[in-house]
Amino acid sequence: MLGFAVRRLLTLVPLLLIVSLVFFLMLRLGRGDPALDYLRLSQLPPTDAAVALARQQLGLDQPLAAQYLNWLSGAVRLDLGRSWSTGRPVMEEVLHFLPASLQLAGAALLLVMLVGLPLGLLAALYRDRWPDHLTRAIAFLGVSLPNFWLGFLLVLLFSVQLGWLPAMGRDGPASIIMPAVATATMSGCVTLRLMRSSVLGVLGERHLVFARARGLPRRTILGRHVVLNAMIPPLTALGLHVGELLGGAMVVEMVFAWPGLGRYALLAITNRDFPVLQGFVLVMTLVFVLCNLVVDLAYAWVDPRIRFGTRAA
Amino acid sequence: METPLLRRSLLATATLAWMSQPVSRPHAATAAARSLTFSWPVNAGPLDPHGYSPNQMYAQSMLYEPLVRYVEGGGIQPALATTWRQEGRDWVFTLRQGVRFSDGTPFDAAAVVANIRAVLARRQNHAWLDLVAQIEDAEVVDAGTVRLRLAHAYYPALPELALIRPLRFASPAVLRPEGGVSAPVGTGPWVLAETVWGDRDVFTRNPLYWGEAPALERVVVKVVADANTRALALETGEIDLAYGTDQLDGDTFRRFATDPRFTTAISSPLATRMLAVNSGRSPTAELAVRQAIQHGVDRDALVRHVLLGAEPAAQTLFAPNFPYTDVGLPPFGFDRARAAALLEEAGWVRSGQRGGSRRKQGQELAFDLCFVGSDALQKALAEAIQGDLARIGMAVRLLGEDAATFYGRQRSGEFGMIFADTWGAPYDPHAFLGSMRQPAHADYQAQRGLPMKAEIDRRIGAVLVSTEEELRAAEYRWLLTTLHEQAVYLPVSFLTNKLVYRKGFGTVPFGDTRYEIPFAQMRRG
Repeated sequence: MLGFAVRRLLTLVPLLLIVSLVFFLMLRLGRGDPALDYLRLSQLPPTDAAVALARQQLGLDQPLAAQYLNWLSGAVRLDLGRSWSTGRPVMEEVLHFLPASLQLAGAALLLVMLVGLPLGLLAALYRDRWPDHLTRAIAFLGVSLPNFWLGFLLVLLFSVQLGWLPAMGRDGPASIIMPAVATATMSGCVTLRLMRSSVLGVLGERHLVFARARGLPRRTILGRHVVLNAMIPPLTALGLHVGELLGGAMVVEMVFAWPGLGRYALLAITNRDFPVLQGFVLVMTLVFVLCNLVVDLAYAWVDPRIRFGTRAA
Repeated sequence: METPLLRRSLLATATLAWMSQPVSRPHAATAAARSLTFSWPVNAGPLDPHGYSPNQMYAQSMLYEPLVRYVEGGGIQPALATTWRQEGRDWVFTLRQGVRFSDGTPFDAAAVVANIRAVLARRQNHAWLDLVAQIEDAEVVDAGTVRLRLAHAYYPALPELALIRPLRFASPAVLRPEGGVSAPVGTGPWVLAETVWGDRDVFTRNPLYWGEAPALERVVVKVVADANTRALALETGEIDLAYGTDQLDGDTFRRFATDPRFTTAISSPLATRMLAVNSGRSPTAELAVRQAIQHGVDRDALVRHVLLGAEPAAQTLFAPNFPYTDVGLPPFGFDRARAAALLEEAGWVRSGQRGGSRRKQGQELAFDLCFVGSDALQKALAEAIQGDLARIGMAVRLLGEDAATFYGRQRSGEFGMIFADTWGAPYDPHAFLGSMRQPAHADYQAQRGLPMKAEIDRRIGAVLVSTEEELRAAEYRWLLTTLHEQAVYLPVSFLTNKLVYRKGFGTVPFGDTRYEIPFAQMRRG
């Protein structure tokens, strides 16, 4: 398993290189001029001289290859350049905002697992009875609601009407509840449905009949033979949900004024702040790959066939 | 079995109890502390008085003061200078006695000279401002007097000295030789006490402030980028005030205006929301077409239905409350029949089918109207204008693009009509007119087809260095009348600042310019 993890980590190097180059070109070859955005932010008239000066200050007057190599030589030394809109080092800003985003995505992931998986199991065990119908309705609603809209609805109810929770910011544990719920809902509902169908699939298998015949208690059958086997598809999907949760957190962070990386990146998109966007994509690629690696390791841990298969390979 | 059950029940009860606890309401907490919580989309920035983005203008104006202050209508009042006089091309300022920077350094002529020279050392950064180009140097006459040597007798020197940036003053002790400041230290009523990146900035009273101390002790500015979040935070009391041109959208502002729990107000005009009409491209190159556009757009309906009454309709390029702009220009007025007649006279006739666009010698009466695609308000205005102009036989193609492409079109002149607001007080009218001579401006591009463009540019140059008041007023009258008659601008409304706060909060006045928020004059209770 260690060899598997090391091999996966080694593939990160070319992956990050390719991602950074493709994204660099996408930004540079797109329409518009960041120098104009810089002047707009400064509320300065975009005269020819001002645009030329801004381009020079932002390094946009250099050839593309030189711009990329400059950036890359910094990036390998963990220097992602300076933000064009704040003038601060990108790495410093990313490290400042990343924990809040990881906290939000982590809380959302926890919600997905703690709510989605048990409700999926419940729906399967009570197939075609009211718990199944209820969870189906919840899942249908949950996947249909855009997370930012759900966020505003939650704020209206719990902050404006009831006054229970703060509408925005990151002050204390109460402030993470609504952002985490808004972020987790869609992935949680998908997980719920996936778990339900997976459990139903396992429940139809013959080894359960033998388990019952061996007189195993219901709790053991459910825990060891149903839940553990049924967890494999939702667990695989969780790896994908990590990306969805981090992406979803971007919009939710804006709604709840959550000081995370998503809001930082959205502002950078608006301001065409290329160094920030390049740094953001690089860091998110890294986080995404690492999360998927963790999920794959967990997957191997749950399913011995994969563990043994890896060893054999 | 009893222990786990008991533990579970206790846990569940505790969780429920915690869930049902109302969170502490910052509104109540801050009310007691004579503090105000405001919000802004980004942090205040490093607060360099001579710098631009990411320095936020509202915060720069809290910490740094000008020599003279601009008041509504174009009046100039003393600030860090108590008196001033023009000596030929030079301006001589007598400085206020007893003023100290918040680090204790005295504010004197040497401090003024150090700051102005710091600006002049990076002249290219401030090329947009004529005054910086006009200043040759600053000299210490004595500790309380300073002389600004100018290249010409530049009359708008005083309103441009009143701008929030770049001609305000930081303590010489914090000015860095390579530009910028090592710490934000000014003479203003506030000091920056704390910055939590991405979360908030906290300003407290400057204990060394020379003027009347602010009634509030603290201003907390939370970082809130989304207008809907801001509105909800205002409702929950997590922020006390929304203030600005676009802090809240029109719909939300109207909702607060009808909510008895809140006080709302709209300032007098601060700038003009308008579209430039291109005289250098067909078919808007024709005066009749441009004038027909003026008659064909129902501004009152735009204000009523799109701007939801939050801004007064504009009939002229500048509101009459700006210097030299109250020249009694006759409004074009909404008159579809007159618009149609103008087009008919110019040879633009409707093609066969009813409601179709007009044609002349095979050419369709069609042009592009450009706006920022993500700007919902511009989009709504553009659609309404498109509808109005279709009624008089003009086919308007809407081009909603990203901001950079949009500004690229302003510079290159690739537009039929394009949104281009004026700069507002204290830039209007002189600095805005000055910029009309720059090819990189939408105004230049809009005017470049006018037969008298060279004369317009010459007169703008002359008015900025004219020393006779009557002559200056006459030149402004000619310029504003010509631009109005040539119909190269479609003024829609006058931009205003809007404010919303909870009833009973206290007093919240408007600032004299668009970007100044007068926290020092706000008081609770």
